[in-house]
Amino acid sequence: MKSPVLITLTVLLARVSLSAAVPTTVKFSREVLPILVENCFACHGFDKAKRKAGLRLDQRDAALAEHDGVHAIVPGNPEQSELWARLTSTDAEKIMPPPKTGKHLTDAQREIVKRWIAEGAKYEPHWSFIAPDHPAPPAATNVTHPIDKFVQVKLAEEGLKPSPAAARTTQIRRLCLDLTGLPPTPGQVAAFVKDENPDAYERLVDRLLESEHYGERWGRWWLDQARYADSNGYSIDAPRQIWKYRDWVVSALNADMPFDEFTVEQLAGDLLPKATEAQKIATGFHRNTQINQEGGIDKEQFRIDSVFDRVATTSTVWLGLTIGCAQCHDHKFDPVEQKEYYRLFAFLNNQDEPTLTIALPKGKAAAVTSAWKKTAEQIQSIIDANAEDFAKWEADLTPSSRKRLSKPILKALDTAKEKRTLDQNRLLYVTGTGAGVSEFMALNDRYTLLDEQLKKGDTTLVIAELPKPRKTTVFVKGDFTRPADEVTPGTPSVLPPLKTSNPSPNRLDLAHWISSRDNPLTARVLVNRLWMQYFGVGLVETDNDFGLVGSPPSHPELLNWLATEFMARGWSLKAMHRLIVTSATYRQASSDRADLREKDANNRLLGRQRRLRLDAEIVRDVALSASGLLSPKLGGPPVFPPIPEGVTSQGQVKRPWIMSSGEDKFRRGLYTFRFRGTPPPSLNVFDSPEGNSTCTRRNRSNTPLQALTLMNDAACFEFAVALEKLIQKQGIETAFRRCTGRGPDAAELAILQRLSRINAARALLNLDETITRE
Amino acid sequence: MSPLHDPPHLTRRQLFSRCSMGLGSIALSNLMNQGAAAAPAPNIGNPLAPRRSHFPARAKNVIFLFMAGGPSQLDLFEHKPALDKLNGKPIPESYTKGKRFAFMDSSGKGMDLLATRRAFTRRGQSGAWVSDLLPHTAGIVDEMTIVTTCKTDLFNHAPAKLFMNTGTGQFGRPSMGSWVTYGLGSECDDLPGFVVLQSGPRGPRGGATLWGSGMLPSTYQGVPLRNQGDPILNLSMPAPIRDADQRQLVDAVRELNLKRLIETGDDEIAARISAYEMAYKMQTSAPDLMDISGESKATLDLYGVKDPKEATFARNCLLARRLVERGVRFVQLYDTNWDHHGGVAENLEKHLPLKCADIDQPCSALVRDLKQRGLLEDTIVIWGGEFGRTPMGEVRESTGRNHHIDAFTMWFAGGGFKKGQVYGTTDDFGFGAVENPVHVHDIHATLLHQLGLDHERLTVRSQGLDFKLTGVTHSEVVKGLLA
Repeated sequence: MKSPVLITLTVLLARVSLSAAVPTTVKFSREVLPILVENCFACHGFDKAKRKAGLRLDQRDAALAEHDGVHAIVPGNPEQSELWARLTSTDAEKIMPPPKTGKHLTDAQREIVKRWIAEGAKYEPHWSFIAPDHPAPPAATNVTHPIDKFVQVKLAEEGLKPSPAAARTTQIRRLCLDLTGLPPTPGQVAAFVKDENPDAYERLVDRLLESEHYGERWGRWWLDQARYADSNGYSIDAPRQIWKYRDWVVSALNADMPFDEFTVEQLAGDLLPKATEAQKIATGFHRNTQINQEGGIDKEQFRIDSVFDRVATTSTVWLGLTIGCAQCHDHKFDPVEQKEYYRLFAFLNNQDEPTLTIALPKGKAAAVTSAWKKTAEQIQSIIDANAEDFAKWEADLTPSSRKRLSKPILKALDTAKEKRTLDQNRLLYVTGTGAGVSEFMALNDRYTLLDEQLKKGDTTLVIAELPKPRKTTVFVKGDFTRPADEVTPGTPSVLPPLKTSNPSPNRLDLAHWISSRDNPLTARVLVNRLWMQYFGVGLVETDNDFGLVGSPPSHPELLNWLATEFMARGWSLKAMHRLIVTSATYRQASSDRADLREKDANNRLLGRQRRLRLDAEIVRDVALSASGLLSPKLGGPPVFPPIPEGVTSQGQVKRPWIMSSGEDKFRRGLYTFRFRGTPPPSLNVFDSPEGNSTCTRRNRSNTPLQALTLMNDAACFEFAVALEKLIQKQGIETAFRRCTGRGPDAAELAILQRLSRINAARALLNLDETITRE
Repeated sequence: MSPLHDPPHLTRRQLFSRCSMGLGSIALSNLMNQGAAAAPAPNIGNPLAPRRSHFPARAKNVIFLFMAGGPSQLDLFEHKPALDKLNGKPIPESYTKGKRFAFMDSSGKGMDLLATRRAFTRRGQSGAWVSDLLPHTAGIVDEMTIVTTCKTDLFNHAPAKLFMNTGTGQFGRPSMGSWVTYGLGSECDDLPGFVVLQSGPRGPRGGATLWGSGMLPSTYQGVPLRNQGDPILNLSMPAPIRDADQRQLVDAVRELNLKRLIETGDDEIAARISAYEMAYKMQTSAPDLMDISGESKATLDLYGVKDPKEATFARNCLLARRLVERGVRFVQLYDTNWDHHGGVAENLEKHLPLKCADIDQPCSALVRDLKQRGLLEDTIVIWGGEFGRTPMGEVRESTGRNHHIDAFTMWFAGGGFKKGQVYGTTDDFGFGAVENPVHVHDIHATLLHQLGLDHERLTVRSQGLDFKLTGVTHSEVVKGLLA
């Protein structure tokens, strides 16, 4: 018979061998806190309104205090601790968490809590609220890149090896798509594959970062977070002009504007001394909120809603915190009081929301005038050519049909034919026979736009500070009809204090505070989001929640190192891109491996790269490039490429979609006009966000509707027809390269050669590989 | 996302039996040998595959007949003689103090009570009151639970519609139909799991966000069957392409994708292969669904379908039955223009009766038809709008009624709802509930419950919160509605 001691030892040993590495002491923030957050804090945490039995476990003093003769925690003594008794109770009335919550601790979790109490129940602040240190990369043999050192040491701990470098064809396509959102041409691939210079890859990185398409690809990434779209949202969803803001983002990124400046200009560009026009345009960031134009609404309610959205967006985008939770009550998990929420709200509650008119620069005005004249002539000639039909229409008008016409139309009709102005002729022609002439409609649309541009210049929505601040109060349960205590602007006390000499701090102070190097969150949140773009998942999986319920970082030291490097390198995004994409970790093959699947199915340890389905806009851009149709034109008003008929009449108000002509049909997905209520289907179906609220991470769905789009959509078929012509001229192998970046093997070629040319072109554009970054 | 949604892990052999039809020139064994040396066997998952509910379900499908605009319960289901007596008199201030209304302030105009112009009779064994505007619906009251004490939070159309559909007035949250398909998948493998049909002069206020999937994957979005052109976007092939071409295309894409799947071991490729297969099937199944020429004259007459091509509410009710027959999980019908303020083209005298005539017979036909086909037991039919209308008159061109959120009427039939009862009691004017109020969130909780889903457990994590259809405040399953 074994002695009890021996049994205990055996059990202990078994436990040791089961968990790969037992640390000497339990780590509070990584091991204990997640358990408490998940299971205890909803009732015993920060939110005083929901606190049960007056007990809070989120602060050490409170947890150690006496309650009705017992102590929840007695440091060093689990058996004396009520917490331990409750966690292990067999009495349904006593056990914690209560069974009705559906939560329970596993034995392993209980064991962690027990050991933590036994080791003295030490608390420490949540990791993300402590400023990142700058850890030295760990020593690793034959590894030079700092990122690889962090990653490979961790892999080795699990007995895993990184994957070999991806094929060079894969590397160049991956890099081109990640940095510019456009695939490499077969010529570029061939040159790169042949280039034996040791710095070939680095030179490619530099070239791509210098490309103006870099700003387009990463601009879209930022516009998701800025909830950009081209309409007002809600049910009426009228078009708006704010594309100047979109262009500002693209050019700021292309110029590698340091991220702290990028932040300040968008949050408070208008408050900078001698603010430039560009800095005012930048404040469009917070004008991307929706505007409700429905009848009978309370305007104040929706103004408040847009401020709620601004607070939520600011805290999600820069701080990675779900401060929005404190709109109605103290945050349940993170130490943010409801009052602190409204102090943040107060910074963003003093705005006026004007429209900025931007005069056309001289050179551009001349070009617009000449285009305007030419369009006018074209319109007139169409009207002249169809004069007979039109005269018939006019002659056929009866008094009763005249009744339905508007005053300006009647006035034009009453003007003698030879005296009618072009505007009157256009109006009449649209009303009459012109509506069926698509060439006329397109020209007419263009004319209207040019005419407005000449008369008014371009406009864009911006933010301006009210001379006198609005009063801000707490709203009970977030209900704007229930104002409570008045508050002044201020930042959450869990984060470093606001440093300002300004007696009444404003948005500019907030912007400086957010982008300050003392802020423990901003740099981490940003580098994590860059990382997520390259590897599919961030080092912190919950990229928009660095708070207590967010997931802990997979590589905390690497995250800290990257964040501090980001600041040390002058908040240069391009420097961070270069750093990440030159690592071997980034350059690995993405194919799955049996050992990885078994030990690290979610690839959190980064033993391989990850295949990522392209973003909606890039799906389009790749097809346009492959088929040779892409217009590389940068910036300007949004365009109207072909979409299925009737889509924009699905909303409450039917919206016209007058198709663009010429190269504007083939612009990058970034430039497609976006109605929030009825977004372009081919973008929507691939998960492009609608812009109703900030989107820091897109879904990557995989659906039959995507297949129908790529197979049947008229626009996609147009791409296929163009690719078919290229097959004819350049052969199927080149077409394959244009789509996937690599040459086909014999089996692939055989499959494609069985098909008609058009079907081969369609097949190539439908391949999973074509719409995936490997 | 909840562990409910881990894709099933298939063996390599199962995978091939699913994907290898028409593999053509590539020898399967060859591929398998290649694969053995390369990547491990991937997961394959159809995100719409049927899933187990939290507990045994009473119902499988939902048909929600949404009367967009807010039908007047006081002219349809709520018989209030006190209104007739006090017609034109101001409503006592105790009712309206502190309330907010659309288009008017609670202090001034629009506070005078308005009698109904309709005649009410007790109908069926249950003796439920129904007005003369709904003679057909009156014939099925013994199948229904009529709830007169429904309550919502928001009084403008778009936010209130969002509230009814998503449990919040904010744009961009998952709708009921997407929650249900997320929770249960769909029994139909060649049509979307959540389908939307529309009738009336325009789209509902709120538009496509009413059937959006919010933070759930877009797979669970409602798919509107369109009234013009393809019933589903991009369903028909480009003009020069024939069916044989399309089949060839799908086969070739599958072979090439399968090869890549073997090389990379990426589960997403497997999912894409099945997505293409379903897309191809949808090209036939969706037109089949829409083609009601095979329905008998008796059936068409039952619903009152005159022109099978016309997108009427009657035709949509018939399509709803056909969808449920095919295993589609959630069907939502929107009929617009139920906003009878008393303005031009929206008065209670002429336009409300016209609207009722559009929907009365089809609603009753749908319930009867489902019943005779044995589908009613498994299908919850819901009728209602985003809110109701005030007991007070609103003076515009004529006297109509304003939006009202404190008490309005919805009815439920089938799917384990109690037959032949009127639930809840309102005050003499029908302004508010005096007994058994039923908040929209309670309706949501009850619906999910009937489908075997616990509203507390059907969640998705986003921005630090476990989002659920029923929101953060307490809501409950209304047992009184259930058989």
